Amino acid sequence: MTVFKASLRNFFAHKGRMALSAVAVVLSVAFVCGTLVFTDTMNTTFDRLFASTSADVTVSPKKTDGDGSGGRSGKPRTVPASALSEAREADGARSAEGMVSSEQVTVVDGDDKNIGSTTGAPTIAANWTAGDSDTMKITSGHAPRGASEVMVDADTAKKRDLKLGDELRTIATTGDFTARVSGIATFQVTNPGAAIVYFDTATAQRVLLGRTGSYTGIAVTAEKGVTHALLKKNVTASLGAGEYTYQTKKEAADSSREQMGALLDVMKYALLGFAGIALLVGVFLIVNTFSMLVAQRTREIGLMRAVGSSRGQVNRSVLTEALLLGVIGSLLGVGAGVGLAVGLMELMGLLGMNLSTSELTVVWTTPAIGLALGILVTLFAAYLPARRAGRVSPMAALRDAGTPADVKAGAVRAVLGALLTAGGGAALYAATQAEKAAQGSLYLGAGVVLTMLGLIVVGPVLAGGLVRVLSVVTLRPFGGRVGRLAERNALRNPRRTGATAAALMIGLALVASLSVVGSSMVASATKELDRSVGADFIVQSGNGQPITPAVERKLRAAKSLETVTSYKMVAARITTPDGKSGSEQLSATDPSYMKDLRREVKSGDLAAAYDRDSMSVGSAYAEKHGVRTGDKLKVAFAGGRTAELTVAAVTKEETSVDRGAMYTDIATARRHLPEDRVPSSAMMFGSAKDGKEDAAYAALKKELKPYPQYQVRDQADFKETLQDQVGRMLNMVYGLLALAIIVAVLGVVNTLALSVVERTREIGLMRAIGLARRQLRRMIRLESVVIALFGAMLGLGLGMCWGAAAQQLLALEGLNVLQIPWPTIGAVFAGSALVGLVAALVPAFRAGRMNVLNAIATE
Amino acid sequence: MTTAVADPWSGGSGARPAVAASARQLVKAYGSGETRVVALDHVDVDIASGEFTAIMGPSGSGKSTLMHCLAGLDSVTEGRIFVGEQEITGLKDKKLTRLRRDRIGFIFQAYNLLPTLDALENITLPMDIAGRKPDKEWLETVISTVGLHERLRHRPSQLSGGQQQRVAVARALAARPEIIFGDEPTGNLDSRAGAEMLGFLRRSVDELRQTIVMVTHDPVAAAYADRVLYLADGRIVDEMYRPTAEAVLDKMLRLAESTDPGTVTPPAGSAGPAPGGQDGRGVTGVEAVSGGAGRGPDGLAAFGSLDDGFDAFGANGGRP
Repeated sequence: MTVFKASLRNFFAHKGRMALSAVAVVLSVAFVCGTLVFTDTMNTTFDRLFASTSADVTVSPKKTDGDGSGGRSGKPRTVPASALSEAREADGARSAEGMVSSEQVTVVDGDDKNIGSTTGAPTIAANWTAGDSDTMKITSGHAPRGASEVMVDADTAKKRDLKLGDELRTIATTGDFTARVSGIATFQVTNPGAAIVYFDTATAQRVLLGRTGSYTGIAVTAEKGVTHALLKKNVTASLGAGEYTYQTKKEAADSSREQMGALLDVMKYALLGFAGIALLVGVFLIVNTFSMLVAQRTREIGLMRAVGSSRGQVNRSVLTEALLLGVIGSLLGVGAGVGLAVGLMELMGLLGMNLSTSELTVVWTTPAIGLALGILVTLFAAYLPARRAGRVSPMAALRDAGTPADVKAGAVRAVLGALLTAGGGAALYAATQAEKAAQGSLYLGAGVVLTMLGLIVVGPVLAGGLVRVLSVVTLRPFGGRVGRLAERNALRNPRRTGATAAALMIGLALVASLSVVGSSMVASATKELDRSVGADFIVQSGNGQPITPAVERKLRAAKSLETVTSYKMVAARITTPDGKSGSEQLSATDPSYMKDLRREVKSGDLAAAYDRDSMSVGSAYAEKHGVRTGDKLKVAFAGGRTAELTVAAVTKEETSVDRGAMYTDIATARRHLPEDRVPSSAMMFGSAKDGKEDAAYAALKKELKPYPQYQVRDQADFKETLQDQVGRMLNMVYGLLALAIIVAVLGVVNTLALSVVERTREIGLMRAIGLARRQLRRMIRLESVVIALFGAMLGLGLGMCWGAAAQQLLALEGLNVLQIPWPTIGAVFAGSALVGLVAALVPAFRAGRMNVLNAIATE
Repeated sequence: MTTAVADPWSGGSGARPAVAASARQLVKAYGSGETRVVALDHVDVDIASGEFTAIMGPSGSGKSTLMHCLAGLDSVTEGRIFVGEQEITGLKDKKLTRLRRDRIGFIFQAYNLLPTLDALENITLPMDIAGRKPDKEWLETVISTVGLHERLRHRPSQLSGGQQQRVAVARALAARPEIIFGDEPTGNLDSRAGAEMLGFLRRSVDELRQTIVMVTHDPVAAAYADRVLYLADGRIVDEMYRPTAEAVLDKMLRLAESTDPGTVTPPAGSAGPAPGGQDGRGVTGVEAVSGGAGRGPDGLAAFGSLDDGFDAFGANGGRP
């Protein structure tokens, strides 16, 4: 009990010294809990949305193989009007309504601006039914009546500043359709972002399906006392079991949620991964804090041992303090996590996603996970320092414990670190030599982990040499003697410097490796584009919408273009001679595509693949299934016939564009598909006459102005877009890594602050013999800078190795240009020096303010 | 009130003023009102140049405070302090730091050295901080005086306590400061190392004409000095020239007795001041300045001599 009391008192006596460790725990736990709360809240929101929008029983068209990509293969599948009347007759059905809805639309306002969501949520066009009144309330105007009226949801109206009477143009597969806003309807549950327009049923059928008398689904409402399951059974019985897909409200909601949930899970685990990195970095901070506290308390611990405390008791007393730190940090972290989640929701709100804090979901596991994680990690981090405390000899009480000068890094550490690093290096090398991606990634993963561990272990040993080199280059020119003092201080406890730098290393290594991969990606793709793309222009939508037939016709008719190529993705089930079959996507294009994208073949002739009933396959596929030129594959076109196509060419895979694509002529696809199952084009390519490119480009842009969902890009634009995309992705990841880097910077602050306290006497002495405040502050700043630069050097070096290894591995997938982004690397290195300066601000200020006499008198 | 003031211009060697540092009506008080504690009570003191001065007194007498104030380490409540001719009271931290760096040397009881620097680097540290090149010849002289040639590249942790203090002395000497202040410089040393150390200090005064002020409570250490100042309750109560350990001890004992409440103070005859004015080092002896002006009600105003003052102090010390 006394031991516990002593721990408690120690903890609160040194709460200032614990503060930054606590912040590290708080941040990491907050990030974990924030992620959990945020994703849980998103799930709740979608659950409620799907639950409220699903009918008691939904009848929908049966899905066929390869139809997973929704309506991309042409128009939506439908159920006939006859099914609707049958459903109405079913036992227990109070009512049934035909639903018409499609996400294959783009809606633009009078200025040809897309009114859809900017966050990737779909635009949905549907018929307004009585069932909709349950979830939406018309808050102004009236429901759409007749062919000239459209109703829009209130969130979209507000975001796009739409008023009654405004004109909206709906661009659907069947063509363009203009109507005026007759009403605005408000969701009664939270709609995270989909833009919704409603027509009356006949108009919806005409606009979205191209014909009346059919629906995309039937919503059946149960009579009082009839369960959904029973109703489903009855409806199934009256419509025929195999004809359609039947779902109860719960099943429909669940299946919608599954799709969304998968997406949310990806986000959740990615965010948790970053939180994990921050937590790992926090470990170093906590290790350092406890090591320093134990070192400062050596005499006190010696006394405890001298009066009879056992090793275990000393050990436990330190761990008790860690436990307190963990508990307090985690509790605060859980609270902060909820706040973070709310902040994230607000942020998403700014980005155009509606989330309501009233749906904030905190399940009991969230605080439990947060607490467990925070406490366990803190205890884990404090374990080694606690053991070291236990080993303090009772004699330490008697010894005069001044500031230790140098702590030598051990030989065991050097050997172990070198072994780990070498092992990791070998694994990385193996990854570059791997011929199979899966095996290579395994090596890469092992290499990354081993080299990181190795450098963490060996870091203190390297500190000696590297810090000296760094300070010769950076400190001495600026610092003179003060710089040398700073260098010596940074070197006096390599273990501490190593741990502080390692924390920074982890974050920066990830930054460096990703920037290497990112810029290699851009460089490879650029090279690939230069090498293989012959088309002058590429037309594509930014939101995954296919190119509508009307636009396709427009492009084909464009006078400025010499050749125009359509590119369609056709779903099919392919059976290879080895007897295996699988769902594949064929790239059905015009033969001119061969000029638009030059592909090298391994065998055969690509031109022959455009012959009647011929195709090409990629070399990986050919190898896997033992397909050779001349073989015939059984291709079952989704929604069409099964045909035998001859493999006329096997394409090489060393490319990042169209990897593994199976080409065939659009004509071949048309031959085996009914007209209404021929998918719209996913992309189109065009080439102008030589010398007329600029004029053609301008003409095309003008042509496509009414269709804001499509972008026409020339090669330069395309490269830029690619670069932007990679850049955006990297920025997002850097943003998430910032948390780990912030924790690492706190670690630098922590180390400096604690060592300033530890060196009180020395600082007093130096001040007494004439070190000016300014010089003292500079000394601490320079020490901070050199630690930060040391961490940056390790991190950037390691990261570049990781990045290069990853690129070598990804070369298998067409990432064959290694480009080190030196400006980024240089900026990060310089930025680290800045970070070092910032980290030293407070410790340096405090050291400067230290009273010289008190410092000398400190016992 | 007693003083230890010399005539600043009556001696000295050439350019350097005979008084290396002085305090006038120096008051150092902590707290205010009821809790006010006066550490130094209107002290007047002159530190003669080229002399080895020891400041003695029981703990709490204010001897360290006096040294800190003289050295520009501590601020004063009232009064003025001069280093050489320059008044340092009222100087800002920047100027004070520069003063300490360029004109004053320090030797502390412990923690004198930076553990990260070797002996030589520690010795040249004040000059490095100032960005000055050490005078090679002088440095050589200092190092051979303290006998550290073999150990220059050792870190403090590889040196014995005595060696460490020798490095500290060398550091203090190397920059050729006007005054070196030592705060119990032998406090952490065994008697042999202490004696050795004091020998170095003595030699640096005799051979290098260094001015040294040392705070100590060890009569043996004080005996190395040219002059011993006695402090009690924040006042200088006596001084002694050319002390011997026995004389110092004797005086200390008397002082202790006299400050012991209820003890009758014997007249202090034997411990009178040595004839300092005759030692040719420019100290004219001690003038007792009557310090009554504006002083408190304790009636110590009228002491005509140090001895009287001492006795009177003793009597006063007996007050409740």
